[in-house]
Amino acid sequence: MVDSVELQQLVDLPLEELVGCHECDMLLRKPQLAAGDRAECPRCGFVLYSHNHQVIRRSLALVLAALLLYIPANFLPIMQINVLGQSSEDTIWSGVLSLYDAGGLLKSIALVVFLCSMVIPLIKLLIQLLVLLSIRLNVGRSYGLLLYRMYHHLREWGMLEVYLMGILVSIVKLIDIASPTLDFGLACFVALLLVQVWLEVTMEPHQIWEALSGEDLHASH
Amino acid sequence: MRAIDAGILICVECHQLNRQVLDSTGQNCTRCGARVHARRTDSLRRTWALLVTAALMYIPANFLPIMTVYSLGKGQPDTIMSGVIELIHYDMVPIALVVFVASILVPTFKLVGLTLLLYSVERHQPLSARQRGWMYRFIEWIGRWSMLDIFVITILVALVNFGSLASIEAGFGAVAFCSVVILTMLAAVTFDPRLIWDNTESDNDHE
Repeated sequence: MVDSVELQQLVDLPLEELVGCHECDMLLRKPQLAAGDRAECPRCGFVLYSHNHQVIRRSLALVLAALLLYIPANFLPIMQINVLGQSSEDTIWSGVLSLYDAGGLLKSIALVVFLCSMVIPLIKLLIQLLVLLSIRLNVGRSYGLLLYRMYHHLREWGMLEVYLMGILVSIVKLIDIASPTLDFGLACFVALLLVQVWLEVTMEPHQIWEALSGEDLHASH
Repeated sequence: MRAIDAGILICVECHQLNRQVLDSTGQNCTRCGARVHARRTDSLRRTWALLVTAALMYIPANFLPIMTVYSLGKGQPDTIMSGVIELIHYDMVPIALVVFVASILVPTFKLVGLTLLLYSVERHQPLSARQRGWMYRFIEWIGRWSMLDIFVITILVALVNFGSLASIEAGFGAVAFCSVVILTMLAAVTFDPRLIWDNTESDNDHE
């Protein structure tokens, strides 16, 4: 436990030397991190922030790769099945369409699936691209801040990894009746997912916020 | 020491520290411009409302068919539970386990867990704050995985589409289930985890 004299010193410190845990509201002196380190809250164990190498450059490469994979992943067939000579194939987009065609309340699920598996992942990638470009080219940082706020609200609503698990479960369910064969779209989808996860790990929010607000102009180097 | 006691507000969006301005009706973050509050407004009441709605939808979600499999003119409705049992009959226990966890265990755990969190914060129950913190983070993280069954239905409806030979249609149970998942995700977002830690230190901060 810290005594009250130390507490008073904490209050008097300038905000730049303090950090607050947004999970439990604990206030502490900001630790200095070397590259590759991360800081955790001593009370609740939440990761406060970490410090990665060359965040902007590495994230830009990843975001471009993800955007290139996005179209084949969503519009190329993921798998095919054969029943008595008739074949049928499935893309992420065709899944949305066939639910929507069923009509009625099912349209609402089609909309949710459309948002979670296609729209939000795309918007997230575009926002990340714009934010990184605005830091890199040093233009429109105030829009960057606004976009990056939107990104944090959308974050958990993009559900590519859950969709992949859904594909696996469907394959297993169909395996006895219809012998499903996997298609190229699935490979693109898995690649998109991997790149996106890698990107989320690389693009450390703390460093992006600081770069966007101009506190650390050298973050991009 | 809590930031709130030092007159410092943490921005919920970018985690920037802001000195609290007294006598102002609303204050925006100096870095990202988001509204900053000491604690999320009406967090408990909003979370309760979402949670109760989710609990109501939980009933049709589990008892109405989520999809109907038509094969040679005969339809066989499937609820969430019967889908899991069917997978076990086909000797696909690992996948049955995944679906059981994602579609039955997780939504139930979220409803019970969030209720427990809300109750413990309101009644100042002496539960370990650290454990409750972990529980909240787990609930927040795992919520999206319940969408699994919805995605499976989407894929099956698109694939199995051979007219009278074989086809699959989604049912109203799927709509109810989808709304449970979304409502509990929203409930986890409106809940302010700092409230868990508040009542370990003082009595009246969560209003």
